[in-house]
Amino acid sequence: MHHMLTLCYKEWLELRHHRTLVAGLLIPPFMLTMLPIVTVWLSGFAPPGDMAEEMNRTLTDPALAQLSGLELGQAMIGQQFGLLFMMLPLIIPNVISSYSIVGEKTNRTLEPLLATPISTSALLLGKAFTAMVPAVGITWVCGSIFIISMARFTVSPAVFTAIVSPAWLLLLIIAAPLMSLISILLTLAISSRVNDPRSAQQIVAVLIIPVMLFFFAQTVGFVSLNIVMVMLLVLALAIIAACCLWLVVRLFQRETILTRWR
Amino acid sequence: MQVGSDTSRARDTSVNGDWAIEAHGLTRVFGKNTAVEQLDLAIPYGTVFGFLGPNGAGKTTTVRMLTALIAPTRGTAHVAGYEIGADNQAIRQQVGMLTESPGLYDHLSALENLVFFARLYNLSADEANHAAESYLRSFDLWERRKETVGGFSKGMRQKLAIARALLHNPPIIFLDEPTSGLDPAAARMVREEVKKLRAEGRTIFLTTHNLTEAEELCDLVGIFRTRLLRLDTLERMRQGHQAQRIRIVLGGAAAPWLPTVQALHLVEQAVAEERCLMVTVASVQQANPLLIRTLVEAGAEIQYVEPMDESLEHAYLRLIGTEGE
Repeated sequence: MHHMLTLCYKEWLELRHHRTLVAGLLIPPFMLTMLPIVTVWLSGFAPPGDMAEEMNRTLTDPALAQLSGLELGQAMIGQQFGLLFMMLPLIIPNVISSYSIVGEKTNRTLEPLLATPISTSALLLGKAFTAMVPAVGITWVCGSIFIISMARFTVSPAVFTAIVSPAWLLLLIIAAPLMSLISILLTLAISSRVNDPRSAQQIVAVLIIPVMLFFFAQTVGFVSLNIVMVMLLVLALAIIAACCLWLVVRLFQRETILTRWR
Repeated sequence: MQVGSDTSRARDTSVNGDWAIEAHGLTRVFGKNTAVEQLDLAIPYGTVFGFLGPNGAGKTTTVRMLTALIAPTRGTAHVAGYEIGADNQAIRQQVGMLTESPGLYDHLSALENLVFFARLYNLSADEANHAAESYLRSFDLWERRKETVGGFSKGMRQKLAIARALLHNPPIIFLDEPTSGLDPAAARMVREEVKKLRAEGRTIFLTTHNLTEAEELCDLVGIFRTRLLRLDTLERMRQGHQAQRIRIVLGGAAAPWLPTVQALHLVEQAVAEERCLMVTVASVQQANPLLIRTLVEAGAEIQYVEPMDESLEHAYLRLIGTEGE
C-alpha cells in the first residue's frame, strides 16, 4: 500500500507539468455533462404529443407509468443521456494509463523503478489508481452536477426520481469505478507490451461499444435500467476487474519489458 | 572464480553472507544467443570490482541478473547473502543501482526524484527527506533542489542518479558505465564520488570499458566477454604476464639481433626498438637462459635483462582479442 501510494503521488506530481493533457481530459466530461443537462432542460418545453409514441416504453419501466406526456418525454431523455456518464470512467483515464508504462520505458525510468523493492502488483495498482482516482472523481463530480441540474430543470419530482433512480445511482457510484478499473488495467496490459501510447489508447474504442449498445437498446425500448440489472452488472464487472488484475500482473513481465525494450 | 588474497579484507558486519557477490555457473540465454556463460564470481565486501568488457559483452545482463531484474537461465548467485530468484525483494533493498542511463523523472525536481525513490526503498517520510537533503548537499545540488531535472546537465544528472542509488544506504552498489557519455570534467567528478564511496567501505560493482577508469578506481578486476576471461587484483592483472614478457637491453642497436631471437622456438614474439629487444616467451624459466646464451654466443653485448610490466590495457586486449573471439 505504501509503495502504491508513493507511486500515485509521484505520478500526480508529474501530471502537474502536463497541463495540456489535463485540460484535454476535462473536455469530454464537460461535453458529456452539458449535453444531457441542456437536452433535458429543452425537453421541458416540448409539446406533450411528440412523446406519445414512446408510451410503450412505460411497460418496461414502472417508474414512468404514472407520468404525463411532457414528464414522460423528459424522463426518458434524462434516462437515456444519464447513461452517457458511463463513458466518462472509460475515456478519462485512457490517456494517463496508456502513457504510464510506455512513458516509463521511453524516459528510461523503468529500470531504476523496477530495481527498487516495489512489487509488480503495487506498481500496477499504483499506476491504475493514478488514472482511476481522477477518472472516478471527475465522473462523480459530473454526476453530482447532473443530479443538481435535474433537481432544478425537471418538470416534476416524479421525473427527477425516474432519472436519478437508485439503479442509475448504483451505476454511477459502484459500476463506474469498476468500469474505470477494467479500462485502466486493460490499457496497462497493452501499455506494458507496446512502445507507443497510441496503441494502448485503442482499447477504449472497444470498451465503449457495450455502453453504446446499452444506450441504443434502451432507446428502442429493448431494455430498461433497473436495480436488479445493475446489481448483476456490478457483480459481473467486479469479477471482470479481478480477472483483469490477475491477467495484467501475469502479462507484466519485468524482464521482457527490460530486455526487449530499445 | 575468486581471489584468495582478498578474502581477508575488512567486511561490513551489518551485511549477510561471506561474500558481497557470489555467482556459480551464472548463465543467461536469449533465444539462440548466450549473453552470459558460466559466470563464477566471488567479490569480497568493501571491494571496488571493475567488470570490464567490450560493448555487447553481456555486462549489463550480468548486472541485471545480480540486481534481481532478470532471472538467470542457469546457475545461482547470492548478493549480500540473498539468493537471486528466491529473495529478489531483499536483494533490491540491499543494493543501489546506477543504470546505464540515469533514468530520472525530468518533470520532477531533484528533491522530488530522490524522495520518491527513498520512499520506494522503504524509508519513512522524514528519513527520505533527510537522506535526500544529505545527498543533495554532498553532491552540491542542494541549491538546485527545486529545479526540474530536465534542465540539468549530464554531469548533474549522473550525480543525482548516483545519489539515488545511495539513498537507502546499501552495502552494495552497482554502477553501470557511470562515466559513459560524460565530458572529462563530469567524468572526473563521478570518479571522485566513487572514490568517496570506496573510502566509506562500500562494495562497488563497476561496469566499464574505460580501462583508465578501472585502473584508477578498482581493487579487483574481471575481464568479461560472455564468459569471465580473468578475475584478479589490479596489481596481479598488471603482473600477470610479467614473467612472460622480458626486455633485453643491448650495448648497441637491437635490430640486427632480432632474426636470431625470432628463430628460437621458445620465443612467441619479438620486437626491436633502438637498443631494446622486447620478447614474449611461453616460459621465462626455459627461455631466458637459452635467449641469453644464444645472444652472447652470437656476439651481442647484453647490458641487462628485466621483466616487463603488462598494462591493464595490454592484458585486456590480449584476453579480449584472443580468448574472447
